[in-house]
Amino acid sequence: MGSILGDLPSFDPHNFSHFRPSDPSNPSKMTPTTYHPTHSRTIPPPDQVITTESKNILIRNFYRRAEEKMRPKRAASEFLAQEPGCKQPRASMTTSDTP
Amino acid sequence: MFRSSNVAARIFERQIRTPAPGTSVHRARLFYENMVPSHTIYDVECPDYSFRKFTEDGRYLISFSRNNQDLIVYRPRWLSFCCKEENCMHDLPQKAKKFESFFTELYTVSLASGNEQICKDCFLYLESNQFGVFVTSTALLHDAPSSGEAVPGIPSIDKITFHLLRLEDGDVLDKKVFHNDFITFNHNVGVFLYDDLLAIVSLRFQTIHILQIRDSGNLVDVRAIGTFCREDDELFLNSNAQYMPVSDQSQLHSENHVETCAHQNQLYQNSSFLSGIKQRLLSFIFRAIWNEESDDAQRVQSLKKKFYFHFQDYVDLIILKVQFLDRHHLLMKFGSVDGVLSVSRNADQQPAFFAVYNMETTEIVAFYQNSAEELYLFFEMFCDHFHPHSKNSPHMNFISSHSNNIHAFEQLRGIKKKPNFQFLKKMLGSLPFSCQSQNPSPYFDQSLFRYDEKLISATDRPRPSTDHPIKFTTRREQYAHKFKIKSGPEAGSTDGRAKKISSFLFHPFLPLTLSIQQTPISQPSQPSINIHFRK
Repeated sequence: MGSILGDLPSFDPHNFSHFRPSDPSNPSKMTPTTYHPTHSRTIPPPDQVITTESKNILIRNFYRRAEEKMRPKRAASEFLAQEPGCKQPRASMTTSDTP
Repeated sequence: MFRSSNVAARIFERQIRTPAPGTSVHRARLFYENMVPSHTIYDVECPDYSFRKFTEDGRYLISFSRNNQDLIVYRPRWLSFCCKEENCMHDLPQKAKKFESFFTELYTVSLASGNEQICKDCFLYLESNQFGVFVTSTALLHDAPSSGEAVPGIPSIDKITFHLLRLEDGDVLDKKVFHNDFITFNHNVGVFLYDDLLAIVSLRFQTIHILQIRDSGNLVDVRAIGTFCREDDELFLNSNAQYMPVSDQSQLHSENHVETCAHQNQLYQNSSFLSGIKQRLLSFIFRAIWNEESDDAQRVQSLKKKFYFHFQDYVDLIILKVQFLDRHHLLMKFGSVDGVLSVSRNADQQPAFFAVYNMETTEIVAFYQNSAEELYLFFEMFCDHFHPHSKNSPHMNFISSHSNNIHAFEQLRGIKKKPNFQFLKKMLGSLPFSCQSQNPSPYFDQSLFRYDEKLISATDRPRPSTDHPIKFTTRREQYAHKFKIKSGPEAGSTDGRAKKISSFLFHPFLPLTLSIQQTPISQPSQPSINIHFRK
């Protein structure tokens, strides 16, 4: 048959008799289905490396609690004078100022 | 996991079905429901040694001579005999009553000489190289002369030697000696082995010695945490000795050569420096209280109440016990000097604290009192992480705990009605865990068998003996009795008044168990040993 796989034995030599292997000189008209992303919001950073955290979950919890305790509490006066731009803009589902 | 409880059907099913992901060990363990040590040989004739424990890989049985000076290592093997008839359904031959039919003596090594004795309760096994760590010590001195560095009130032992042995042939590879020190040996309390790191808590000098066991068989000092935290702290303090008070300087110059590190430490003790670990601890407590309040005035008030009022109590805390959480983190238990020799019943009354310490950064990461609800929540949710996962002994990771077994978890839920003060203290009293104190035998797996935990459990401690046998029933088929373990003579003990204690040595993976019944030390007599195995 002249395929890449060669003349391998089979149960019935008439199997695959209609099969035509893809010929590089005659490109197939069918392209396989491919999927492309429609946005670039979720692309990982190019230098991202995923590794296992060396600290186990128990030790991570100890550190997290310690960080919470060690973070100095802000005085009450500081809470009142907050910058206006510190909140994230929320994607609005409905318009807020409809008459 | 298997459809049938018949062993042949299970073997066939094993051929054709793969287990659910991650459960291949659990499925293999199900076969232990079919292979149980149901046959008992009572009163086996055995040599007069005290049999201590099987190693975790099941290759050796460790025993000590009665005078606690020799180590005798046995290899467990199975009883074999031949009979003339075709169907050997008759009773076992006479030689089945002999200890030597089940165990082959490999060698005897004399570890202790003179007035030294082997600490029977302290034995650690390194599975990857088949090394064993044994401890010998001289007698305890209660009224020890206090040297400058030692904590007053703690007894002293003249000489404590740690022996590293290759168990294959009994060669003593290395030794480490401590002089005039005190280390708690009962049930591996003062030592902890994780992978190749060995932590030894020197109570008298308040130092945690971290040693590494090399493949070549050497015990190498890694660090000593206590007076100094970083390796170069001592060098730094020495080089800045010019800033020390004049009286100490004259002492420094009068010493022509300094012999041991303890001698140098004495100088710093006189100059009223707190030990390195104590300084780390106090500064952590200070910063935590400081950051609780936002107002400066309130901070000072809070510090006065919570820190300075108890300052001397914090300074007087001593390190009682230590365990590894991973290669860099230690969980330390602090308490008072009275907690050193007190019985565990009274230990609940003593105030105790836990601290997590990072050896690399030399920082205290967390500090809790022994009734802290937060620490108890971690204990309840992540109990298995308090037993650090060791890649060298994978089967030790399958010991039932309330984190990996639903039945153990339900048991915990049952006793926990409301987390009150006493309950929290009792549960956290088991921390830090002692290493290699639990038996990895599948017969203690709570998802396979149900048994009375008061009479027998995976923790290898001797328990009061009962006349009736201890029953093991399967979890799957309700109340399906599988096997019984009975210590002592078959007909029960004749002397009803003498209280006896039993200890059970389960082989890690063979259906072979030794039950040893003996009278307490006050009335010594020949112990009675039974062998339980699958006939």
